[in-house]
Amino acid sequence: MSQTRTFRFALVGNPNCGKTSLFNRLTGARAKVANYAGVTIEKRVGELPGLANAELIDLPGTYSFFVTSPDERIARDVILGQMRNESPPDVLIAVVDATHLRLGLRLVLELKSLNRPMILALNQADAAQQQGIKIQLERLSQQLGMPVVETIAIKNNGVGTLLDEMAAIQTRLAHQEAQILLYTERTESVEELYARIESILADCVSQPTHLPMWQDKLDAIVMHPVLGVITLLTVLLLTFQAVFSWAMPVADLIDTSVQWLGDFIGKQIPQGILNDFLVNGLIAGSGSVLVFLPQIIILFAFILVLEDSGYLPRAAFLLDKLMVSVGLSGRSFIPLLSSFACAVPGIMATRTIQDPRERMITIMVAPLMTCSARLPVYALIISAFIPQRNVWGLFNLQGLTLFVLYIAGIISAVLVAWVLKSRNKGDVFPLLLELPVYRWPNLYHLFSGLRERVGIFLRRVGTIILSLSVILWFLATFPAPPLEASGAAIEYSYAGMIGHVMQPLFAPLGFNWQMCIALIPAMAAREVAVSAIATVYAVAATGTDIATDLGPLLGQLWSLPTALAYLAWFVYAPQCLSTIAVVKRETNSWLATAGFVSYLFALAYIAAFVTYRVALLLLTN
Amino acid sequence: MNITMDKINTIPHPVVLDAAIKPISKLKKGSLARIVQVTEFTEFGKNNESVSQRLKELGFLPGAAIKVIGFGFLSNAPIAIGINGTKFALRPAEASKILVIPIAPN
Repeated sequence: MSQTRTFRFALVGNPNCGKTSLFNRLTGARAKVANYAGVTIEKRVGELPGLANAELIDLPGTYSFFVTSPDERIARDVILGQMRNESPPDVLIAVVDATHLRLGLRLVLELKSLNRPMILALNQADAAQQQGIKIQLERLSQQLGMPVVETIAIKNNGVGTLLDEMAAIQTRLAHQEAQILLYTERTESVEELYARIESILADCVSQPTHLPMWQDKLDAIVMHPVLGVITLLTVLLLTFQAVFSWAMPVADLIDTSVQWLGDFIGKQIPQGILNDFLVNGLIAGSGSVLVFLPQIIILFAFILVLEDSGYLPRAAFLLDKLMVSVGLSGRSFIPLLSSFACAVPGIMATRTIQDPRERMITIMVAPLMTCSARLPVYALIISAFIPQRNVWGLFNLQGLTLFVLYIAGIISAVLVAWVLKSRNKGDVFPLLLELPVYRWPNLYHLFSGLRERVGIFLRRVGTIILSLSVILWFLATFPAPPLEASGAAIEYSYAGMIGHVMQPLFAPLGFNWQMCIALIPAMAAREVAVSAIATVYAVAATGTDIATDLGPLLGQLWSLPTALAYLAWFVYAPQCLSTIAVVKRETNSWLATAGFVSYLFALAYIAAFVTYRVALLLLTN
Repeated sequence: MNITMDKINTIPHPVVLDAAIKPISKLKKGSLARIVQVTEFTEFGKNNESVSQRLKELGFLPGAAIKVIGFGFLSNAPIAIGINGTKFALRPAEASKILVIPIAPN
C-alpha cells in the first residue's frame, strides 16, 4: 500500500448514552460539522489527537437497526457503508450507559452480528459505581468477544485507555479495508436476544434494583400535571428574561465598540468611496452580525443545559397531548423552542420527529416562533411608537406590545398546524420517548456544544448577513445622485429605484418607499431591516447609536398605523434566506419550499393590511 | 345483533383475558404491574409491526415489571412508565398494546 488511507472509527449508541460528550473528550472538542450528502442530518467528524490517519464519526443516537426515524436510518446506513460518499467505518465503538446496560447491550449484540471490529465503552462508569452496579470487565469482554473500557465522558477518566485500545486495533487492521455490508433480516427474535443479555448480565454484573431516590422525587414535581407546568413556565420565563435582559449590556458594548472602530477607521482614511465602503458597508455589516451573538449564546446555553440535564424530554412529555391536538407532538416542542432563538437550528432539530407529516408541519410553522432576529426590528419600532406607560399598574405598554407579537406568532402557528393537520390524515406514529435520568450539566460539554453552535451561526448565517450588507451598501450607493439632486442620495440609487417600483404594491399596507427598500436587504435576515432603514434615512452615516437616533426620527416620519403594519409584516414574512435554504434541504422539495415561502408572504401581507386598516379606523374615530 | 354465519369470521377476535389482565393505558398513577404480552392490536396501520418490535426492543417484554409514574398535562396522556430503571413516555395507542397484571404494592 503506497498511500495511507484514513482509518475510520464510528461512535454508536442509544440516545442519551453520553456519546457526544465522549466524542468531545476524544477529539478535544474539535468537531467538523457538515451534512451527510443529500440530507441535512448533521455529520460530526473529528480527528483523534495521538492517532495518525484516523478520524472519529459521531453517529446519531439509535436504539436499533430496525429504524424508525431519519436519524436512525443515517446511523444504520453509515455503519453498513451504504451511505453515499461515505466509506464504511473500520471499527465501531459502541457506547453504553453503564447504568442502562440492558438497553445498551441489546444494540451491542445487534451490532456484533455484523462482524465489524468493535470496542465497548461503558460510559457513566462513575454513576454506575455510585448506584452500586459492579461490572466484571474481563468477563464481559470475554462474553462479548470485544475489548471493554470503562469511561466517564464528563471527566477525562478512561479516555486514555480507550485511545490505547483504538490505537492497537488500528495497527492490527491498518491493511484491511472495511467491506460494505447488507443487513436485512433479524437473525434472532427480540425475546431470544434479551434472554442472552440476561445470561450475560447474570454472569458479569451485580446490580441493585433501586434508582437513586432523588431522581424519582424530582420527577414527582417536574412531571406533575400542575407543578410540572408551573416549573415549565418558570423555566421558559427565565430563559426569555435571560435572552432579553442579560444579553442587552453585552450587545450594547459590542455596538459601541463597532461604532468606535468605524469612527476610528473613518478618521484614518480620506473621505471618499473607500472610506464609505469600510465604515458603512464592511464594519457596520460585521457589527450587525456581532450584536446578535450575546442573545444567541445565552439562548443556546439555556437550551443545551435543559437538554443535557434531561429536562427537555419531560417538557415534551407534559405538552404532548396539547400539541397532538394541533397536529404536532411533544417531539415538536424542542425544535419549536429552538426556533425562538433561530428557526435554522430549530428546523434542523426536526429530524428527531419520526412522523413525516408531523415533521413537515413543524418545519412549516417553526418560523412563526418569534426568532431573535426579529427583536432589533421590533425593538426599534416599539421604542419609537409605543409610549413608555404602565398599564393596569403592572405591565409596561412596550413590553406588552412585544408580548402580543410573540403570542400572535404562537397562535398563528397553532392555527396553521391545525389547518395542515386536518388537510391530510396519515398513519399513526407512537411517541415512545425516553425520559433520561437527570444529570448535572457538564461545563466542558456545555462549552464545546456552545462553541460549535456559535461557530455554525457565524459561518453560515454571519457570512450571509455580511455579504448582503456589502451588496446593500453597493445598491444604496450607486449610481451617485445627479449634481442638481435635492433628495437623499439613496433615492437615486438602485435600491431607491427598486423601492419605488415595489411601493404601489405595498401602498395598501401603508408602507412608504423607504420601508420597501429596507425589505429587500432584510430578505437576508430580518434584523438587517434596521440598518437598512437607517441607511435609507441617512442616519448611520453619522455613526451614532442607531436605535436612539433613528427611533425619534421614525416617530415623525411614519404614522402609527404604518408602524404597526410593519410590525405585523415581520411577524409572518419569511425574510430570512438561511431559513428558506434550510427548509429546501430538510424537505428536499422545491414544491414544499415554494409553498412555505408563499404562504408566509401571503399571511404577512394580509396581517399587515388588516392591521393598517383597523388601526386607521380606530385612530381616526 | 344479527350476524350471519358466513360473516362470523370477520368479527375481531376478542383476546381472552383473565379479569385481572389489562392494558397499561388502564392503569392508575403509581400502579405496579408485570407485563404479560405485547399484543398485535393494529393501532398503527402499516407501522404496527415496527411499533410492536420497537416496544419489545426497549424492554417491554413479558415478565418485565413496570411502574406508572405519571400523566401529561390536563389529560391521561401520555403515560410515563418506569421499566428496567429507564423511563419512557407512551401514548395511549402504544400503551394499549401492552397487557399487564397489576402487582399489589408491598
